[in-house]
Amino acid sequence: MTSNIAGDVTDIDPISLEIQWQRLVAIADEIDTAVIRTSFSTIVGESHDFGCAIMDASGAGLTQAQWSPPQFCTMLPRTTRDMLKKFPAAALEEGDVLATNDPWIGSTHLPDYNLVSPVFHKGKLVAFLGTVAHVSDVGGHLGDLEASDMFMEGTRLMPNKFYARGQVVPIVEEFIAANCRVPEMVLGDLHAIVGTHRIGIKRIQEFLDDYRLDDIESLSHAIQGRSERALREAIAALPDGVSEYEITADGYLEPFTLRIRLEIRGSDLYMDFAGSSPQQWHSAINAAFNISYSTAVYPIKCMLAAHIPNNDGLVRPLHITAPEGSIVNCTFPAPVKARAKVIKHIPPLIFGALADLLPDEVIAAAGGIFPFHIVGQDARYGRFAVHMLPHGGLGATQDADGLLPAAYPHNSTVTPTEIIEKQCPIVMTRKAMLTDSGGAGKRRGGPGQEIALRHIGREPIMLTIRPDLMKYPAPGLHGGDAGALGDVFFEGVRLERFVPIQWQPGEEVVLRVPGGGGYGDPLERERADVQADVTSGLVSLEAARDIYGLDVRFDPEELQLEAIRACVENRFAD
Amino acid sequence: MSTQRYRFGFDIGGTFTDFVLVDVVSGEIRSYKTLTTPRQPARAVLEGWHQLLGEANAAGSEVVSAIHGTTLITNALIERKGAVTILLTTRGFSDVLDTQREMRYDIYDLHAPPVTHLVPRPLRFEIDERLDGLGNELEPLDVTSLEQLSETLEKAGVTDRIEAIAVCFLHAYANPAHEQATCDWLKARFPQAAISASSAVAPEIREYERMSTTVCNAYVQPLTERYLARLYRELTQAGLEKDLYLMLSSGGITALKTAGEYPVRMIESGPAAGVLAAVFYGEMLGESNLVSFDMGGTTAKMCVIEDGRPAMADNFEVARVHRFKRGSGLPVRVPTIELIEIGAGGGSIAYVDELGLLKVGPESSGADPGPACYGQGGDQPTVTDADLLLGYLNPHYFLGGRITLDRDAAARAVERHVAEPLGVSITQAAAGIYQVVNENMISATRVHVAERGVDPRGLKLIAFGGAGPVHAYPIARALKMQGYICPPGAGVTSALGFLTAPVAFDFVRTFIAQIKPATLAEMDEIYAELEAQGRSTLLKAGIPAQEIEFTRSADLRHMGQGHEISVVLPYARLADVDLDEELRPFFYAHYADIYGYAHRHLGVEVTACRLRASGPVPHIRLSNPDMSDDAVAPDLSAARALKETRAVYFDELNDFVETPVYDRHRLTVGMRIAGPAVVEEQNSTAVIGPSATAVVDKTANLVVILDYSE
Repeated sequence: MTSNIAGDVTDIDPISLEIQWQRLVAIADEIDTAVIRTSFSTIVGESHDFGCAIMDASGAGLTQAQWSPPQFCTMLPRTTRDMLKKFPAAALEEGDVLATNDPWIGSTHLPDYNLVSPVFHKGKLVAFLGTVAHVSDVGGHLGDLEASDMFMEGTRLMPNKFYARGQVVPIVEEFIAANCRVPEMVLGDLHAIVGTHRIGIKRIQEFLDDYRLDDIESLSHAIQGRSERALREAIAALPDGVSEYEITADGYLEPFTLRIRLEIRGSDLYMDFAGSSPQQWHSAINAAFNISYSTAVYPIKCMLAAHIPNNDGLVRPLHITAPEGSIVNCTFPAPVKARAKVIKHIPPLIFGALADLLPDEVIAAAGGIFPFHIVGQDARYGRFAVHMLPHGGLGATQDADGLLPAAYPHNSTVTPTEIIEKQCPIVMTRKAMLTDSGGAGKRRGGPGQEIALRHIGREPIMLTIRPDLMKYPAPGLHGGDAGALGDVFFEGVRLERFVPIQWQPGEEVVLRVPGGGGYGDPLERERADVQADVTSGLVSLEAARDIYGLDVRFDPEELQLEAIRACVENRFAD
Repeated sequence: MSTQRYRFGFDIGGTFTDFVLVDVVSGEIRSYKTLTTPRQPARAVLEGWHQLLGEANAAGSEVVSAIHGTTLITNALIERKGAVTILLTTRGFSDVLDTQREMRYDIYDLHAPPVTHLVPRPLRFEIDERLDGLGNELEPLDVTSLEQLSETLEKAGVTDRIEAIAVCFLHAYANPAHEQATCDWLKARFPQAAISASSAVAPEIREYERMSTTVCNAYVQPLTERYLARLYRELTQAGLEKDLYLMLSSGGITALKTAGEYPVRMIESGPAAGVLAAVFYGEMLGESNLVSFDMGGTTAKMCVIEDGRPAMADNFEVARVHRFKRGSGLPVRVPTIELIEIGAGGGSIAYVDELGLLKVGPESSGADPGPACYGQGGDQPTVTDADLLLGYLNPHYFLGGRITLDRDAAARAVERHVAEPLGVSITQAAAGIYQVVNENMISATRVHVAERGVDPRGLKLIAFGGAGPVHAYPIARALKMQGYICPPGAGVTSALGFLTAPVAFDFVRTFIAQIKPATLAEMDEIYAELEAQGRSTLLKAGIPAQEIEFTRSADLRHMGQGHEISVVLPYARLADVDLDEELRPFFYAHYADIYGYAHRHLGVEVTACRLRASGPVPHIRLSNPDMSDDAVAPDLSAARALKETRAVYFDELNDFVETPVYDRHRLTVGMRIAGPAVVEEQNSTAVIGPSATAVVDKTANLVVILDYSE
């Protein structure tokens, strides 16, 4: 072990530490499961757009639920510490729950509500439980992308007690309810989260009783110390040096560029976003620093500390900076609602910067996500607000093709078609992978998908779509091609602007969610893999010939028949 | 003497086939174990059949029923050795089998392999038809698209090689008409193929989960039907005159034909039987609130039993890519006893991770090379090695003395891979392994118990499996349970569950509506339809109509909520129930039991009606030939069963103490053993900790009571 590496590990024996740490992870997991099971909205219950974390009494992150999105859990401790500035420990009592959706304190756009509960044990504040969840509505305009400031995007609750001593604070509850379109759903989710905090608080108290602990300070110290040291060792094992990388992406009305300068110096890693585009006042794509920061942590963790449960020890060796007023560190009150359009490019930016140093760890860029959101009412379906998060293909790695459409870097799930159609008068007429959409490469990018929707109700519906990668595709790595571009068609017309659409009965919307980037030269792809892609329909005959250099001779029908035979025979072969 | 006095149960596992024969008149129980014969499973079965009937001097005609469970179906899914299966979906949705729920089961492992389903893309066909979300027809079923698929297969020359067909159309849970018409058409065109319709296999909302379940069912149906037919034929030739029943994951048993149609319901039959055995032992002891705990070589399985009823789930995953990662398997939506399974067993490997922390499992040394102390070349330290070093296991009496355990090899492995890296003694390292693996099981159990809204202080642990009774003490104690029970013959106990299961089958109908008085009448109608199905299924299984019982349950939630809880409804006719005074408070109370609060101002929504149709529970009274009531010794001291004393480590004493070791086979009813003590029998060892006292009950169970006064 390198002696000059920081991180104190002497204060708790490794066996007790393992046992107590795992116990905290299990508590966070239990809260996470309870949130899913008690939530009201599709975005929390079906799409899992929420995260849970446990912090120590100072607000340092100790652990997160294993399934929680990585950015949320890196942000929650920062949010908690900001809230503590207004509500220091002395101002907190048992049964209090703090809430805020402030973008600069919280997770950087208004729909994300942050709830933080102090945990008391024998009268002493010992920890915090935090949950951030994307609620269904916070008022404001219905669009995602076009806003000139945050005030257009909804109402903002600065840190306040949502519950005080176990009782809901009426003025806060009323404020939230009065300023959104679906108050039962929003309050249902928020109260459900408070319920899960009660469970979590009880579990932490039981845990402290079981181990006769008065607090978790030394445990927190040990968890963070060990984690920090492990990450420092991994960084120190890499050669010192600087690398830079740049990605230009669609933005909305004009493209933007992200730049990173990544420096490894000893056991520290410096990431600076200087040179990235300035924040934009015409498009709501700006990222407040909290989420840029936490998104930049993610690829480093994947590459260097994938198996260590998330905690603040893992961010100590990382020094992340971005110029104030840039698109990754926007200032109040810039519009921020669709900041995902910027931050999704941060992981590929960092992987790109490390692609030469860690070729077997990096992953090419992903096709991302085309969130769509509908609001309306119908005689047969009642009032509805439905979110769906369809994903594009993932990027390829040195060893494997990119995954089929899947969430990344967050971990949401797609709302089932049947759930959507049960709740509102739309019919999805197609949800299918797109041929030739995965970037070509020695390892192919994951394919994107096409989703077609038809309005079958009698009243207009407000439809909001937030596409991406319609101009600049997901880049490949080491000679791999970019994935296919995304597209949106409304009644057959390609859309360029994404204001909320009055969707009339009978009209059809088609989304083409992009594919992921490839890895390596397509000509080096195993011929059998190309053949298999052609057989399964993910790669066309033309692309096989022109890009992969494989001439497959069948006509389309013969190809289908051959594919069927191959599947049947293959089955008999094994 | 009755002419039909035996119940015969057998469980075909991956390695062993276990048999149990109970004489229902005398309560006498016989068991047998032999190696599974994977190519011809019936061979091992016949061996056991002849062996046990021979021992009992019984004729095949005296067997009143034979009950069977098997892992062959699960293995076919894991090894992908099922039928050539095609899938028919609604036009535009055949890729759902690939895109699934679009999630990653590991957020940080960018190299985690994908979950690939069972039917490749070219064998999926899209059919023109469409229902809307309310089950109304938007587009009729277009037979020309069926004809096209048939032509395509014909042109490819594979028509007669299609062994199974899965049909899953959108919203078929709400309206099965298109699926049924499609199946009728397919039956005529593909007479050789087994056909599974999603509306019959898993009529529940959420297309990927239903499609996955239907595909799994179709994929294993032909082999299951062939296998069961052959097995039944051979057993009949060997003298079985009555029916063969199959164990289901739900803990019920069902007739051969029904099982052949729904093989996906049998996937977890073996573990389910283990839980039923726990229920059975609990009943004998008058204990109805238990946690069954089965710890074998690779995994530990836990299940909460409340009021004699095992926890149930309506879904699970099979054939996981990462055995212990949620989301890495194929989802199967069928009723199942809810088992929590974690990678903690005797063979689980201990190591020090990148953080310098001690980890145990989920990787296992398996049977080969096995733990270091087996002396078969394994050099990784395992839980069994730690158990040996701590004095719990007897090196000369493991598996009844069939294997001599090598203490030095265990010590070397623990020293090299755990003690040295951690800078602790070998004993500390072994105690650490024991603690960490226990904590993994404690943690999983704690969450499982909590999610059912149960207080562990009212429970006892019932320990099975080779390693279960060695680890029961710290687990029960950490969860502040009352105590734990170690039934005799840990290996036999699971198969006993086959003989105590009632004939039962579960039915479900997705029905989403706010509950209003009118809804209650609609629900009554649904239940009446489900009861008609249940009656027909159970009549086929030979249960007389008057003995069929129905249990209604419903998936309920607050109005507008995304997920639901399943609640058993104690009402024969819902239309008679007062909604506001009775049903709503009933739901809120159940909800609050689990989650601590309920939104009493919100209405109640139903999402599914569930019905279990069951026959009578077979009553078996066990007698132990060695422990009849006359054998109750006047001297209840266990002294005459004492084998030896040896140094055994106990965490709460922080040291080894000289501990008495008893021979379980020499214990008699009523004997009392104060901890610390070790009780050895042929296939397992029970550890009784310092703060516990064990009593031998009249069916030879060790009932261990924990003492929390300090």
